[in-house]
Amino acid sequence: MKKTLAILLTLALLLGLTGTALADDDWITLKVEAFDRDIPGFNVADCMQLHYAQEHFGDPNHIKLEFVPVARWTEGEKLGLVLGTGNEPNICITYDGGLVNKAIEDEEIYQLDELLEEYGQNLIAFLGRDTLLPFGQVDTDEDGTPEQWFIPARRLEVENVGNFIRADWLAALNMEKPTDIESFEAYLRAAKEANLGGAQTIPMQFDLYEANPLYNVNRFTDAFIDFSKVTEEDWFAYCRNHEMLPGAKEGYRWLNKLYHEGLLYENFDLDDDAASDTALTQGYFGFFSMQPDQPWRPDKNYEVELENNVPGASWTSVNCFKNASLDKYLHDVYAANGLSIIIPVKSTTKEQAIAAIKYLDWMSLPENMFFMQNGVEGINYLAVTEEGIPTEVQSADAVPDEYKMHAGDIVFISNGLYYGSDERNAAGRALKFDAKYTPELIQSYIDAGTDAWTQISFSGTIQAENDFGSMVQSKQGAFLSKVITCAPEDFDKVYDEAVDAIRKVGADDMIEEFREAYNEGRARGTFPGNP
Amino acid sequence: MSTREIPRRKTGKGWFRRDWRLYAMLLLPIAFYLIFCYKPMIGIVMAFEKFSKSKGIFGSKWVGLDNFKFIINKMPDLGTALKNTLLLNFMGLIAGFPMPIILAIMLNEIRCTGIKKVSQTMLYLPHFLSWIIIGGMVLQIFAPTTGVINATLRKWRWIGPEENVPFLTEGWPWRIVYTLVGVWQSMGWGTILYLSAITGINMELFEAARIDGANKMQQIWHVTLPGIRGTIVVLLILNVGQMMNISFDKPFVLGNSRVEEYCDVLSTFVYRAAIKNHEWARAGAIGLFQSVVGLILISTANFVTKRLGEDGIW
Repeated sequence: MKKTLAILLTLALLLGLTGTALADDDWITLKVEAFDRDIPGFNVADCMQLHYAQEHFGDPNHIKLEFVPVARWTEGEKLGLVLGTGNEPNICITYDGGLVNKAIEDEEIYQLDELLEEYGQNLIAFLGRDTLLPFGQVDTDEDGTPEQWFIPARRLEVENVGNFIRADWLAALNMEKPTDIESFEAYLRAAKEANLGGAQTIPMQFDLYEANPLYNVNRFTDAFIDFSKVTEEDWFAYCRNHEMLPGAKEGYRWLNKLYHEGLLYENFDLDDDAASDTALTQGYFGFFSMQPDQPWRPDKNYEVELENNVPGASWTSVNCFKNASLDKYLHDVYAANGLSIIIPVKSTTKEQAIAAIKYLDWMSLPENMFFMQNGVEGINYLAVTEEGIPTEVQSADAVPDEYKMHAGDIVFISNGLYYGSDERNAAGRALKFDAKYTPELIQSYIDAGTDAWTQISFSGTIQAENDFGSMVQSKQGAFLSKVITCAPEDFDKVYDEAVDAIRKVGADDMIEEFREAYNEGRARGTFPGNP
Repeated sequence: MSTREIPRRKTGKGWFRRDWRLYAMLLLPIAFYLIFCYKPMIGIVMAFEKFSKSKGIFGSKWVGLDNFKFIINKMPDLGTALKNTLLLNFMGLIAGFPMPIILAIMLNEIRCTGIKKVSQTMLYLPHFLSWIIIGGMVLQIFAPTTGVINATLRKWRWIGPEENVPFLTEGWPWRIVYTLVGVWQSMGWGTILYLSAITGINMELFEAARIDGANKMQQIWHVTLPGIRGTIVVLLILNVGQMMNISFDKPFVLGNSRVEEYCDVLSTFVYRAAIKNHEWARAGAIGLFQSVVGLILISTANFVTKRLGEDGIW
């Protein structure tokens, strides 16, 4: 009897399930990739933003939205494993341009021209038909008109380089803010002699960034490039190899000198970032270089942490890496595009692809974007300004779990908070910071935008970069270690050998192909040597 | 000694009916090998294709040896990685292979159970630490200036105030640190097999040796070591077969850009050359090359052992 009852119940359950499934037949599921940064208490796959999108976009359109969390720092590798297999989300996002180009070549993703025209007019308006969209176009059929293969996110904030020195050290040394290499070096030397950070004073900090070792060093050494010997074509050809441009060698010789005088962080290539972070907030360092807003960010405020350890200490932005041949400061800025949004063919039906564009289109509407980026008034932010910009924004640990959010990772069509215009965006950005830092922050962004040149990218695949890019980067890491730590009398020999090693593992092929691409008109970015 | 009569194997399924439980237990490992070792081998064809995930293993374009040619001709780091892999593994074998044997014998001689258990547990512990943790420890201990050892040596004035022992920053010192850290991490765990082998030695042999007047060292030399000789040989052959394999995390974590040409091994090379840029076919080609060399090494080791009168592994 019991057995029969059990069977009957199971059958009923199964029937019930199929019943619901049948009733939901006109619904489709849309899986959307979402970066996951392991914010404690924040569940990407079940967050407030998802519920809002489901209610306001999903339900009316009979679309079941799902967010698929992917770890932010390994997203390219993770997506590379599934893209093309049919197991990937319907909307994928990535910063890995090489992966996108490969997917275009292998025809693993939808060509988006028609879909965008039909279902994405608001999205096109947000991105700009002539400003942003071209970043996602590649002329694959070589008919002269490029096709839209991916949707580039709009980057609202392009400034990249922030250089900071200790304002209190300057005062203690009775020095002006350095304005060129010589005065900067004088500051470093004076700080070391006076041991302003105690016995462990290290005037200049920088860390070797293994994923792209010269990315953070170019901002120092580019000041030494002799632009009278560099053509625009060379600038694009050597875009990943500034260490080979005329004059750059002297920049590395300068770093070598600083290292041997004890002015440069000795373990720049050995320690992990945490050790260097600690030293930064302990007040041992007199200079560091990161993003323009880095010292004052609400989530990790270096200045507050520093002040807790060293009362009266503060950071101030500095512009001192002046290129003598151009008489310019040369800050690189990001291109106007952020990550790439693609719609894979294998996992996505035509219907889902339409739903995907509709979703992005819905996301680009001001009221939706506002909620998805800012959350709920009274919880995620406490007030709005007269212009309607949220203020008193609460940090993630100050809001209950069910209201935790990450604007950038979910509203990925916009890289930065969007309030309708450049001025409002800048105002909104400033409001995220403590008001007492506003003057420094404004100055830092002005400095970061002084004599800026736009980072270089290419439309379509650069095969050599795909093949050898990571080999070249690894050799550049070794190059950096060698030329900075070698004995000064061996410098020329070590430098030449290390450059040769970079060339041999594929840099030569890359330079040649970049040059070709430049001459074919596939290059984007700017040349600082142009007046 | 009395022996129980074992029934002779009958024709038909008698043997199966009698031992079916044992055979059933065998199913799981067989399934493991089929699913995780044999099935993936089909993927070897990728090494000869211009592989595209959407077209699949059987739909991608066949390119013959192109992937191999590319890696050999265009990637000079392959030679360095190969050399480093063999050298680091060889150093690990020389320094690391005898350690568990010596340790096992020493542990075996400890009479007080409490001390024995505690020392065993402490020796096993490093095996359970992740390489990320060990990497952090190595940095704390061996780093220039800030590392414990260099700071101590300076304090004792064994080295000058501006000098450093380049444990992590020069080729040979780094290789030695790498090897010794590896030995420290794995030696305790390695004793398990030897300890069980030692337990298997007939106690009467020790008794006889004692009666013949053998001291502790002589007992170890003439009874213990010959008793575990079979185990030693099998493990040695297996280790030689692993000469081409190297884990990713250990060299990746312990290495740094100053010793780039010494710490780049096949696993880290594959990561850069093929995995970071999603070139799965190239990763497959390097993997196949690695396996073929591994097969040659293990066969040679087995052949040599058999010639020396030992059992070998097949």
